Amino acid sequence: MDPRVLSGILLFLLPFLYAGLVLLYALTFFWGVRAVEALKLPAVVAVITVHLVYLAARTVAFNHPPITSVFEIMTLLAISIAIAYFYIEIRTNASATGFFILFLAFVFQTFSSLFIKDLLQIPEFLHSLVLGFHVAAALLGYTGISLSAVYGLLYLMLYHDIRSSRFGIIYNRLPNLETLETMSLRSEAFGFWALGLAIVVGLFWLPRVFKDFSYWDPKLVGTIAIWVLYAIGFAAKRKYGWQGRKMMIVTLVAFCFVFFSMTVINFYLSGFHSFH
Amino acid sequence: MNLLAVGISHHTASVEVRERMWLSEEEMRRALAQLKDRFFTECVLVSTCNRTELYGIVPSGGTVDAAILSQFLIDFKKASGVVHPAHFRSLAAGDAVHHLFQVASGSDSLVIGDIQILNQVKEAFQLSRDQQVMGPVLNRLMQAALHVGKRVRTETAICEGAVSVSYAAVELASKIFADLSRKSALLVGAGETGELTLKHLLGKGIGQIRVANRTREKAEALVATLGGTVVDYAAVMETLPAVDIILTSVSSPSPILGPDDVQRVMRQRSHNPLIIIDIGVPRNVNPATKKIDNVFLYDIDSLSTMVDRNLDRRKAELPKVDAILREEVVEFFRWYNALQVGPTIQELRDSFEAVRQQEVEKNINRFRTEDRELVDLVTRRIINKLLHQPMTVLKEGTAEGNGKAETMRRILIVRELFGIGKTERESDESE
Repeated sequence: MDPRVLSGILLFLLPFLYAGLVLLYALTFFWGVRAVEALKLPAVVAVITVHLVYLAARTVAFNHPPITSVFEIMTLLAISIAIAYFYIEIRTNASATGFFILFLAFVFQTFSSLFIKDLLQIPEFLHSLVLGFHVAAALLGYTGISLSAVYGLLYLMLYHDIRSSRFGIIYNRLPNLETLETMSLRSEAFGFWALGLAIVVGLFWLPRVFKDFSYWDPKLVGTIAIWVLYAIGFAAKRKYGWQGRKMMIVTLVAFCFVFFSMTVINFYLSGFHSFH
Repeated sequence: MNLLAVGISHHTASVEVRERMWLSEEEMRRALAQLKDRFFTECVLVSTCNRTELYGIVPSGGTVDAAILSQFLIDFKKASGVVHPAHFRSLAAGDAVHHLFQVASGSDSLVIGDIQILNQVKEAFQLSRDQQVMGPVLNRLMQAALHVGKRVRTETAICEGAVSVSYAAVELASKIFADLSRKSALLVGAGETGELTLKHLLGKGIGQIRVANRTREKAEALVATLGGTVVDYAAVMETLPAVDIILTSVSSPSPILGPDDVQRVMRQRSHNPLIIIDIGVPRNVNPATKKIDNVFLYDIDSLSTMVDRNLDRRKAELPKVDAILREEVVEFFRWYNALQVGPTIQELRDSFEAVRQQEVEKNINRFRTEDRELVDLVTRRIINKLLHQPMTVLKEGTAEGNGKAETMRRILIVRELFGIGKTERESDESE
């Protein structure tokens, strides 16, 4: 099959596949349907495989890896989250957080499928290996931060339910608070260092490639601001012993800035960081 | 089917009556021996704090009156003044099978989803085997009951959620902390519920326990039983920052802990989460303490609410449990009905014929075309001759003078030897 046709079909199918996956996890989480329990992990593997085929087809069809626009990055972020979740589930054997994490992957993939553009011509520097490294590090960073936000949100939901003696689905199905907090902080630390690496690589590489490079580029400033925000959060945790709820709120606020940076800054304030 | 069940349970009798009918292991051994001698070919007794039930296979052609069995049990326990035959309920055949499955699944327990009952059924089964009062039917029935119990626990949520105040407190702790072995608990006031909660915490592997009580001797006695260390009642406040779970159960007209105390404690413990279980009435901890970040305060009412909700959730699982029980009763009777000479002979023939056909088909090309019909004929004759002896033995089993038990024994031997009628599950289990 022609790679462009294949990538077109898969681009259309992927949001539905992710939606199906989210539905499977929702069935067990919210309604306790045990009959689909055994289907969940194979379904994750199947969707990841289809997604990889899509990325390969798209790379061949358009002669460049899908790293040139925010919506291409979003599809990478979706698969990255799905793979990270798959790893977490097989390591911890706990699937209770699957619905929430895969929902995030579904959102990213849907945005990507709706707005992605087919680019045949891209600037030469986008074939650079350094760019690949820069993007991979940023991707890992954002994946870590996204996972951290989901765990942070789950922590706050469970915290609220436990404190208000609401012993419903959230209470019964989610892992304990300490685990959620640990998962959130570990993902956050991973994301923080990966994003830091992306920033460092970018700061060395970008001025050499772009003639109009500016340290005041909105995306660069936004990303550094986010990184500094996380750094302040970690420092406060260490210095003032921020724990539990307070730390999870910081995580969620920081994620809102990340989302703001990915959307508003990318679309309305784009500087040299736009490649087409 | 000659299965008869007679028993007393929380449905039919009060605890005063039930406790008179409880049988120790030694009593069960003696009772089983007498029951086998007088009434049954196979029998089993299940005795717990909520039920004493007898299941037995009546010899073919014979009858046993359920009232006589009830009276036997009453007399055996010398409880005729307190217990009456009217306290007993009897069931036969399919109803008895269904009831045993209900018992094993925990759906008939006083606290729905009781997890101990499955072990008690297992122990009853083992005891009957040790006493050699177990035969093929009850053996199969008890195995099926254990399978039902496990299946219900895996496929439904009937055992989920704490259903006692003390266990609810422990469940809460498990929902907040990942690893209780790294945590420590302090019990202030050595009351009964507090002690029980501490026992549950120990069962969950709590790292360290401390006990403080106004009467130090009482704390020392508790520590001597459960382990841990005694804390001076006057030094409780200094100990608080070092513990993650505080259980208070003190008789005091005013709270012993307030928001200011807990704020101070939280600062000292770097705001690490703190669970306070207040089971004192009146309450030992000022409710305003609940507002402090990372403090999880529960009183007896909130724990009771949790227990009630869990019980409701368990009850909501009963239709799912019932569906499993019905499936398993059908499965058991499918096995039981196959224990007839006619179907067994037919299955034996089919099994041999399947092997013959398979081998003939595999090798038929090695023979000349004109010989192939002969090969078919010869192999059929061989099969008939091989089957002649086992079939004769089976048919003799039903001859006059041989009881149902002998017939069944022969049928079971043949089925076991030739592996006929085995389902996939049975094959897995036997492996």
